[in-house]
Amino acid sequence: MSETVLSMRGVTRDYAVGGAFRKKATLRALRGIDLSVDRGRTLGLVGESGCGKSTLARILLGIEDPTSGTVLVSGRPIQDYERLARARLIQPVFQDPYSSLNPRMSVEAIIGAPLKVRGEGTAASRRTRVHEMAGEVGLPRHLVEAYPSQLSGGQRQRVAIARALIGEPEILICDEPTSALDVSVQSQILNLLHRLKQELNLTMILISHNLAVVHHLADEVAVMYLGQIVERGDADAIFERPCHPYSDALLKAVLPPRAGARLPELGLEAEFPSPVNPPSGCAFHPRCPKADALCAEVDPNPAGIDPVFRCHHPNNFGAAAHPAQAAG
Amino acid sequence: MSMTAPILEVSGLKVEIPVRDTVLRPVRGIDISVAKGETVAIVGESGCGKSLTALAIMGLLPRQARLTSDRIDLNGESLSEASPRRWRKLRGDRIAMIFQDPMTALDPCYRIGDQMAEILKQHRKVSRSAARERSLELLRKVGIPSPEERLNQYPHQLSGGLRQRVMIAMALLCEPELIIADEPTTALDVTIQAQILRLLRDIQRETGIGLILITHDLGVVAGMADRIVVMYGGEVVEAGTCDEVLARPLHPYTEGLMRSIPVPGETRRGETLGFIPGVVPRQTGDLTRCGFLERCPYAHASCAEGSIALRDAGAGHLMRCVLPAAGSGRDPEAWTRHSEASS
Repeated sequence: MSETVLSMRGVTRDYAVGGAFRKKATLRALRGIDLSVDRGRTLGLVGESGCGKSTLARILLGIEDPTSGTVLVSGRPIQDYERLARARLIQPVFQDPYSSLNPRMSVEAIIGAPLKVRGEGTAASRRTRVHEMAGEVGLPRHLVEAYPSQLSGGQRQRVAIARALIGEPEILICDEPTSALDVSVQSQILNLLHRLKQELNLTMILISHNLAVVHHLADEVAVMYLGQIVERGDADAIFERPCHPYSDALLKAVLPPRAGARLPELGLEAEFPSPVNPPSGCAFHPRCPKADALCAEVDPNPAGIDPVFRCHHPNNFGAAAHPAQAAG
Repeated sequence: MSMTAPILEVSGLKVEIPVRDTVLRPVRGIDISVAKGETVAIVGESGCGKSLTALAIMGLLPRQARLTSDRIDLNGESLSEASPRRWRKLRGDRIAMIFQDPMTALDPCYRIGDQMAEILKQHRKVSRSAARERSLELLRKVGIPSPEERLNQYPHQLSGGLRQRVMIAMALLCEPELIIADEPTTALDVTIQAQILRLLRDIQRETGIGLILITHDLGVVAGMADRIVVMYGGEVVEAGTCDEVLARPLHPYTEGLMRSIPVPGETRRGETLGFIPGVVPRQTGDLTRCGFLERCPYAHASCAEGSIALRDAGAGHLMRCVLPAAGSGRDPEAWTRHSEASS
């Protein structure tokens, strides 16, 4: 049966902001995150900037510690792993392959660095492994000796993926892996990630603001809003019948490149609120077209099974299909 | 659309940039016209020359770049020989630009109100109070809440969406005839993107401003544009009405772009997406063959026999390709074979 590789229970993360010139305050970047991912599955994390999705990734990578709550990796708290042991399990692929690769290291040194740090094998065996890995991610052989400045954006992202995978991690955290790339290159990276995740049975967390990318790769989706997961479930279910009005708005905001497409009316009026001073009740209520007095006072508890959502007035709940979404 | 005289007519626009011992030719003879109230999208990937084309039309090319053109006419006035002084008078007044990143386009050291007033002072003889009134009017028009407060704020105090609204308000201050928007929503969240695009479209309908929309996002194009100009390697490779080009892309480059975009509800999860193998070649001299040849799955001998002319494939749908507009020579399997051979 399925085996949970990664789970979070009640994870919060606060930052102290202000100080010298401004009033001190607490920015609550994550406000109680529960999620779990099974082996070989891909979880897509979506939400607007400021919703906490990158903070969540940093906690999973061990770059930051949660303020409270537990993060379990293969059943053990993440803090119990030593740095190298953690890096063996979890590896990142970042958004910008122009700044995430050291310009003074050759491609070979970059891809081989994780092995060298661990002192695995000899220089010769590492070199063989680097060449294998470069082939695996579709990097032309002659580019292994090159430096990042000689590579295109897509080639750099292949290097970043090869570096992440050379130590055979179980979990890959991709933070906007294709946002910096042109669409014709983005599709190559998406094809590559999909092939690798199947061949290597990788567990993947995919963070993206591009819902088309998430739709293409993710088995499950978690929609984040202001430090909370407001809806989580099977990707097909959420894409076809989103329950939370915010998920619904995000999906409508996808502009399909098709003749006759119209600009969507989202019904989201106000601006994204400040995470320093989140709204009362349901954090989404000031922007929600369905909000009423209840929403302004009571923060909804998670409801439903698949998807799980936090909303007093969910869409599509219990309804079989939603014709408007099926078309869009 | 073709009834009214165009606001902007550009033909034979070329940009050359000398570097060391050679000359780069990032824009090689572009024709564009924009009618009143029309949105023309210039589409292409990084390095295709779309942003330089926009800068050339604004007279904002870097100093070392050389601009030549057969004509650049703005409502009948020829600008191909305009002096830098004349350009300065036009910019912000009759042609306005909205840039991708409002944080770098706005001056961080000046309050919003002062930046807006400066534009009016440059182009109109107005009093301070009149400038303030006009600024407030436009901030309201672009849907900025409590505009009086915003006038006294600095750019860093606004969110990305609000900053882009301020940029739009600034562009509208002098009631320009033409707005050039270079990736206006690329830096924004999808939810804000939808709002900003609607705002631009509503204002345009109300005022009849011509809009050149530069973007790599064909979804934005589908929602906004009346006509599309697809650029590749500094040339127009396809042009036509938005619906026509998206429904029936004729140039293999456009077709490749359309094949590479996942669309929820159409493409299946994990379905192998199309892509365009190779990279944009850096070309310096005149083209003696099709510029897309190396990357094209349909390429054959005649593609290398000379430069390819832009021709009308019917109903004003232009393409720079030797293939017939429909049917023969376009085997859909060719994309798969082509991709496999290169990966």
